[in-house]
Amino acid sequence: MKDPRDIIRRPLVTEKSTDLMEQNKYVFEVDLKANKTEIKNAVEKIFDVKVAQVNTMRVKGKPKRFGRYEGRTSDRKKAIVKLTDDSKSIELFEA
Amino acid sequence: MKANWEKTENNRGVLTVEVDEQKFSKALDQAFRKVVKNVNVPGFRKGKVPRPIFEKRFGVESLYQDAVEIVVPEAYQAAVEETGIEPVDQPEIDIDQLEKDKPFIFKATVTVKPEVKLGEYKDLEVPEKDFSVSDKDVEEELKKMQERQGELVVVEDGQVEEKDRVMIDFEGFIDGEPFEGGQAEKYTLEVGSGQFIPGFEEQLVGMKPEEEKEITVTFPEDYQAEELAGKEAVFKVKLHEVKRMRLPELDDEFAQDVSEFDTLQELKDDIENKLKEQKSQDEDNYKRNTLVEKAAENAEIDLPEVMVEHEIDHMLGHFEQQLQMQGVTLDQYMQFTGQEKSTIREQFKEDAEKKVRANLVLEAIAAEENVEVDDEEVDQELKKLAEQMGREEEEVRKLLQAQGGVDQIRDELKIRKTVDLLVSNSKNAA
Repeated sequence: MKDPRDIIRRPLVTEKSTDLMEQNKYVFEVDLKANKTEIKNAVEKIFDVKVAQVNTMRVKGKPKRFGRYEGRTSDRKKAIVKLTDDSKSIELFEA
Repeated sequence: MKANWEKTENNRGVLTVEVDEQKFSKALDQAFRKVVKNVNVPGFRKGKVPRPIFEKRFGVESLYQDAVEIVVPEAYQAAVEETGIEPVDQPEIDIDQLEKDKPFIFKATVTVKPEVKLGEYKDLEVPEKDFSVSDKDVEEELKKMQERQGELVVVEDGQVEEKDRVMIDFEGFIDGEPFEGGQAEKYTLEVGSGQFIPGFEEQLVGMKPEEEKEITVTFPEDYQAEELAGKEAVFKVKLHEVKRMRLPELDDEFAQDVSEFDTLQELKDDIENKLKEQKSQDEDNYKRNTLVEKAAENAEIDLPEVMVEHEIDHMLGHFEQQLQMQGVTLDQYMQFTGQEKSTIREQFKEDAEKKVRANLVLEAIAAEENVEVDDEEVDQELKKLAEQMGREEEEVRKLLQAQGGVDQIRDELKIRKTVDLLVSNSKNAA
């Protein structure tokens, strides 16, 4: 099995994600190919918490250009992980 | 909050203030709310960063300085009131303890009002001084009025006398050569005013209108134009016109002209009365000033430098205002007189010291003698003031209240009463 730290890339700390924390939901950027089960297991392993639900979404990279060169930033996958009510919370502001 | 006042030297001391954790954390909150508006964290709009994230990112310490700035003035003020000290200067603040979840302790070193050791202030003696009005004083006053009423009259024939106004053309030569500034036409000059080189005006005396004359004078050695100093010059002078001041006769008619009185005697009496009034006021002032000065001299005060400096600032400001009324700025004044600001300050210093001393002593005497001013007296003073200004009492009161002027009046009254006390207790008290 893959290393859980390869699946969970980094926590996303934004206004929106901070608001979501009130509902016991935490937002991460995860590996594009990771599925919900993998994400659930990885989060449980890294933070020692219980996960109730995982929602994921793909975020398309944004087109960027430098003069003549057209390109785009990489696609990402975001995961909103909901913890069970009895789980402890994640102190994830190491960024 | 706890405060502790500890005296170090005569007029200085250290005020140790302890602000408890809750109060300080409130200040931290305030500081955070202020700082957060200007901080950029990716993922958040400006001013929307939550406190925990902010602290993780920048550390709580980053808020300390702002929090201190918020909490110190407040706490200092409260501490001053609690300990009852009277600072005369801005404090120097030193931070003693500043840690999370611990009381915040700071030390303020400050100069306070000095203690006044009163010396003798009762039974003081005022040296006698003559404030009576003599006939001569009246005569002089009358003469001044006379001169104000005087008219300049052209003297048709006759000779120039001292104090005449003459109109002259003149041209000056040195060694037969005309020189710069030595020539003018129809110049009006008061003979004997000393405007010209010594000797020039004197030689005009005795000239008649339309007469021409050569006047020889020697420039003084210290004349401002160096190339002329010490040289002998010949002036060709032509006299055009002589005007003389004609003084009106001192009679009843004159009295009617200059005043509402019908006879000269009445005018004289009036002048005498006014002079007497003036003099008695002078005498009163003289007595008061001397007594205060003496009481101040007898007291022992260790005068803090800052108080004197403040007073000098105050005087300088006043002086500047006066200058401005004459249309001169302080900078211009300094240019004219070639004085530096420091020299002017030095000049004010003695007076400033005296004034501060006097004020302190008066305050101390007022405290010693329990001089109090009640509301009624303030009201009366307000009424007087209103009358002087020609306004309603209420209006004046409102006006003053807006500027904190009522307290000022109270203070003034207190000082006046204290001085009254000095006067009534002096040796010369009649």
